[in-house]
Amino acid sequence: MSRLTNRLPEWLKRWEWILVILILAVFWVFSSQQPDNYTLSKLLNQTRVYMVDVGFMALGMLTVLILGDIDISVAATAALSATVMAVSYNQGSGIPFEAAIALMLITGAVCGLINGLLVTRFSELFPMIITLSTQTLYRGIAYIILKDQSSGRFPAWFSKDLGYGAMSILGLDVPIMLVCFLAVLPAFYIWLHKTASGRRIFAAGTNLTASRYSGVRTGRIKLAVFTLNGLMAAVGGFFLTSRTGSVKYTIATGFEMQAIAIAVLGGASTSGGRGSVVGLLLALVLMTGLKNGLMLVYNDAFILNLSIGLLLILIVLIPNLTGELRRRSAVRRQRLSLQKA
Amino acid sequence: MPEQAKKNSAFSALLKHREVGLAAILVVLFLLVGLRNLAFTTGPNALFIMEDTAIMIILALGMLCVLLVGSIDISISAIMALSTMTAGIVMKQYLTITETQAMVNGAMTSMTLRESTPLVLIILIGMGVGALSGAMNGALIAYGRVLPIVATLGMQYILYGLSHVISDGQAVYRKDMPDAFINLSRENLLGLNSKIWIMLAVFLLVFLFLTYSRRGRYLYAVGSSPEAAAMSGIRIQRSRLLAHVIMGALAGLAGLLYASRDTKITQDMAMSYEMYVIAACVIGGVSVSGGRGKALGVVLGALTIGVINNALTMLRLTGNSEFWKKAIQGALILMAVVTNVLIQRAKERRVLKDRRI
Repeated sequence: MSRLTNRLPEWLKRWEWILVILILAVFWVFSSQQPDNYTLSKLLNQTRVYMVDVGFMALGMLTVLILGDIDISVAATAALSATVMAVSYNQGSGIPFEAAIALMLITGAVCGLINGLLVTRFSELFPMIITLSTQTLYRGIAYIILKDQSSGRFPAWFSKDLGYGAMSILGLDVPIMLVCFLAVLPAFYIWLHKTASGRRIFAAGTNLTASRYSGVRTGRIKLAVFTLNGLMAAVGGFFLTSRTGSVKYTIATGFEMQAIAIAVLGGASTSGGRGSVVGLLLALVLMTGLKNGLMLVYNDAFILNLSIGLLLILIVLIPNLTGELRRRSAVRRQRLSLQKA
Repeated sequence: MPEQAKKNSAFSALLKHREVGLAAILVVLFLLVGLRNLAFTTGPNALFIMEDTAIMIILALGMLCVLLVGSIDISISAIMALSTMTAGIVMKQYLTITETQAMVNGAMTSMTLRESTPLVLIILIGMGVGALSGAMNGALIAYGRVLPIVATLGMQYILYGLSHVISDGQAVYRKDMPDAFINLSRENLLGLNSKIWIMLAVFLLVFLFLTYSRRGRYLYAVGSSPEAAAMSGIRIQRSRLLAHVIMGALAGLAGLLYASRDTKITQDMAMSYEMYVIAACVIGGVSVSGGRGKALGVVLGALTIGVINNALTMLRLTGNSEFWKKAIQGALILMAVVTNVLIQRAKERRVLKDRRI
């Protein structure tokens, strides 16, 4: 077995293939069980719920994870920036919706920037602790602004066309927000994997000290990455709002964990230096397929979460265990050959 | 010159124990709030804060063990939910209600006696399920080499799901609980609430374990340098497992107290409580990278959060303090953590200065 895996070319041994196999397995199982309900067009319809808003947050989270940091406050950032957008449009005197969107993006970026400043200025503190506190802070501010109310009068193009509109591609109704997300992905891929500034994030995440000594401005990169993450969280909140049609301070609760889970499933490591946009997209597809199928079969959010937890652990555990076994057998073989000699 | 040296040494001796600094922050905070609302600084209120924070302290002491070995557990609220739900189902199953008529002060009164499995057994079940969940976490982290945050994140989903599956979506209410369990958090002894007594007992045990027992010291060794600990013959994976088992068992205990206090067990009980617990540890001077932290510091850290929570309710900053409370909480925790770092930096600078001469 190990001899076989050694002979495989490097590109075939990538993590993404495991995800592809899992996706095919999930699709095959559910579509044979529920042939009427588990169809491509219905799946595409559900990408609004399971893929787009979390996907944007996961993209931001991916860059943070590659740095070896973590950001718990993304969901709160999304809630706060969506709140700012809704309130400034609905209660502001004649603020156009475009300006409200700009305000929302600025809010997200500022939230991220604050995280970044705290993380770089207080390097003794772990990003997890800092973003845990800012999480309560951001959601608290959203709470102060909106109280228990919800705010939800938006232009029709936002809540109807963007939220529920679809465009016909190859005879399939593809949600417009999915098209938006898929349009961002290639740009993100090229930036993260093919440009110098993207590769510097990987360098800083692999070895911060070495990168700093080789002239990478790690502090500035961290600031930029956290700001970008805040911005992506705001974009996620934007699409979430267009789908739900109203904003409360509680929106997107728990999304930070989903974003982390998707990035990790996609091959990112919380210890930094690893992660890929392609893996993230595959993880999103896998999650969408799985969640949709499980909801069809069980119709129970708790079972859904249970399965996702199991999947997350197994998918990280199995390569670790096989790696460990391989290492042990290598040691044993070495010992045997030493004994012979 | 000698005078300055003396002053320096006194100051640094004080700074050496960061718990002293933390206690000072706590007292100042307490008095500052007292300036605005006199009722805050009374003895009963101090006791109330203590009682209110006891559950968080128990959890934070468990989290201390986990953080010491360089791990983290964000599944504790899910462990609380699952273990308490298991115990709750058992007590619901064996609940018997007997009504007796008795003459009290010359009048007939009916008394209902609600009995179920013995309280000891309920506590054992709760802590046992907690310890098992903790062992799962520990095994994944120690032997499966899954990163702690990923493993416990996954376990969080699984445990919440399990608590939903075993209870079939049904919550356990006061009517399903025996008297002994309801009174578990309401008993008073020598003027102190039972939660405080339990918390003190847990504190003492964890303190003795971490300070004087060999296995307790191993936790520090594993956290400060896993390689060195392994080289010196400590089975580091076993220590990691042990830390998670302790955390799980304490989460089970805390969950029972929580349920007894609220007289309600739901599937999503205590959701996102772990964040406060981790914050309490960090304020208490525990390093998230492992190897540093003391039981006393953790207690003080949790009390700081308790005082903040309580003060925000007492101060009534605006018409409805609930709105402000949520926002300010995060800011205050952040401030406490940052202050801690600044103190630490000042201390290190002082050490460097002393060395230069």
